[in-house]
Amino acid sequence: MDFDWTSREKQLKARVAGIFDKIAIEEVDTLGDNALPELKSITTRFQRRLAEVGYFSLGIGPASGMEALQLAAVQEELARVSASLFVAVETTARLFGGLLAGFADAASVQDITDELSLGNLIAGVALSEAEANAPDDRSVTAKADAADFIINGQKTFCTNAPIADIIAVQGTVNGSQAFFLVEAGHPGLSIGPRLHTVGYDGLAVAGITLNLVRVPRNRVLGPFEAGASVRFLCRTQDMILTMASVGLTQRVLKSSKSYAQSHIRGGRPVFRFQEVRFKLAEMETLFQTAELLAFRAAWLYTSNDPEAATVLHSAKVFCAESAERVASLAMQIMAGPGYVRGNLVESGYRDAKFAQLAGTTSEVARMAIADDLLNRYRV
Amino acid sequence: MDFALSEEQLMFRDQVLKFAKNEIVSRVQEHDIRGEFDWQSWKKLGEFGILGLHFPEEFGGSGADVLTSVIAAEALGEAGVDGGLTLSYGAHTYLCADTIYSHGTDVQRRTYIPKLASGEWVGCMGLTEPGAGSDVASLRTRAELKGDRWILNGTKMFITNGPIADLAVIYARVGTDTGHQGISAFIVEKGSPGFSAGRTLNKMGVRTSQTSELILDNCEIPRENLLGMEGAGFLMAMQTVEWDRSTLLAPFVGAISFLISRCCRYSQEREQFGRPIAGFQATKHKIADMKIFLEAARSLVYRIAWCKDQGRPLNHLEAAVAKLFIGDWSLGPANDAMLLHGGYGYCHEYDVERIFRDSRLAPIGGGTSDIQKVLISRLM
Repeated sequence: MDFDWTSREKQLKARVAGIFDKIAIEEVDTLGDNALPELKSITTRFQRRLAEVGYFSLGIGPASGMEALQLAAVQEELARVSASLFVAVETTARLFGGLLAGFADAASVQDITDELSLGNLIAGVALSEAEANAPDDRSVTAKADAADFIINGQKTFCTNAPIADIIAVQGTVNGSQAFFLVEAGHPGLSIGPRLHTVGYDGLAVAGITLNLVRVPRNRVLGPFEAGASVRFLCRTQDMILTMASVGLTQRVLKSSKSYAQSHIRGGRPVFRFQEVRFKLAEMETLFQTAELLAFRAAWLYTSNDPEAATVLHSAKVFCAESAERVASLAMQIMAGPGYVRGNLVESGYRDAKFAQLAGTTSEVARMAIADDLLNRYRV
Repeated sequence: MDFALSEEQLMFRDQVLKFAKNEIVSRVQEHDIRGEFDWQSWKKLGEFGILGLHFPEEFGGSGADVLTSVIAAEALGEAGVDGGLTLSYGAHTYLCADTIYSHGTDVQRRTYIPKLASGEWVGCMGLTEPGAGSDVASLRTRAELKGDRWILNGTKMFITNGPIADLAVIYARVGTDTGHQGISAFIVEKGSPGFSAGRTLNKMGVRTSQTSELILDNCEIPRENLLGMEGAGFLMAMQTVEWDRSTLLAPFVGAISFLISRCCRYSQEREQFGRPIAGFQATKHKIADMKIFLEAARSLVYRIAWCKDQGRPLNHLEAAVAKLFIGDWSLGPANDAMLLHGGYGYCHEYDVERIFRDSRLAPIGGGTSDIQKVLISRLM
């Protein structure tokens, strides 16, 4: 057992953190103020810088479980800077990139993976549908002709869709699952209006519609059984959201602590009042606990532990719910100024809810955890 | 970072689990209801080597690292050993014996550690006073050197193992310094003139541990029973407190594992509305929350143990975080386990009721949750 980072892990973390100087942080803090073209440009620019320090070559695909803990370590560095940028980048690198690494014919998508590794592409993965969320219950369907697959249907809540260069669309072919790689501007693909979400101001999310979209066979992953790819995507998404929550917790904790130390009331910083200090102590406790649990969940994947899925569900529920609690306490400490738009605590408070309802929801995660335990202690 | 336990640690954990289930658990409920110390289990703990696990072999221990000790303590809780017995063990081994081992002279070590490691003697620590709980520095017990004897006067309160202890590490003030530096530690043996224990307190939980006042009324001990340097008592107490917030917390974490197995089995057997209650989402939600707490808490405790194994002497922030989290957040799972058992969970015959009562000590003993918040906000 070792609770210190190795020198390699420290180096990776420092490289990612090193990107975010004062100017960069100001830019990502106002990410949500940008129109889509600027958002795309800024996101791509940060992706390229992250790619230069190796962020896009770590933990890509289902065979990279050994790197899960290293990946979590560097993910935290980005997540603590910006939840929106983090989820946008992770959707491209780990969800889309991982899907290609694990389930595509490498030669057929080499041109895409080359661009991905340089951070030049923004990508999305379209899974959710308005009327169906089960993996085997999809309205997006494809039929094959001599050269192409022709796909029809609608997807909702597709992260990065309004700024994506390419989207992997999940659908079914004769009852089997496939992912169709559809480039932006492709005939028949239309991107819906950017959704106005409670939080994640700097993340562009939209529904997409596919109307007789022709996808060449070398741009199709599958058809195959749904299990492995969906499990990979769910696990990857849950880890991303877990680390997003840890980063968010850290960010609002730091922000509210700094405020408490500088804001004077009754002739002294409000940090000196026990009501404020005790809140910060609870926040620090939740942060340290969440961070350790998230890292342990990642570590279990490095050792291919049979309990990895249950512990990841536990980590996601705990980290997501802790983030909301910490953000709420942070806003309480800041009071009026914290309630005004344009500060990290206010945006953090709105962002915090997302991880509980995205990916595996807290409710579904709890059922999965309990089912695993009930199975283990079967009477 | 690496969360792996060694093969030896995993094997030892399994051995402790098996030992506790076979040798101890059957007597737990009976002793808890009567509020009696289980001497038979104590003897078995000594024979198995738990009581001296981390002391070197030359002192009757096994030379284990702190992490292994924590794993053993957790396994006791997981097996269903009551919080009373594990508290007695913690107070004895860490708060008393380890303080002597860490700060005592060679003679003191050789005199006391083997007897404590084997369980032949029971040890306790006297720090808290009726008027000095969380505010340790305000303790009033005094020690005065007269010739070759120390004369101690004062009262200690809520002393685990007090009524049954053969030996106590007592913290007392020497000289005129009213601050931290005026505190020293002393070894007081049972039978010392002027040393006695008050009545055994009737507690809500951890009932098999025997708790009382310790009364020092012109208590005389030899000059050489000063433990460590004169005036170093506060620092020693603070180091001791870290044990309180790591090894002594581990059984509470283990108890949640025990509750999970109990609740899973009970909820599959208990039927309502024509089906096992395990099928209801509300039941699953409770079981899941127990698991989430367990996973969150365990690493916190392991981290302090690991820090101690690395020779990092003071890990107050990590210890306070672990203590606050386990103290405050363990009440939820303990309460849920009782609720899941319904009326049965409210009866003494069911161990979930005992664990509910035992867990209530976690946010109180070893520094209340409020004190942990004071510490965390100071150190963060």
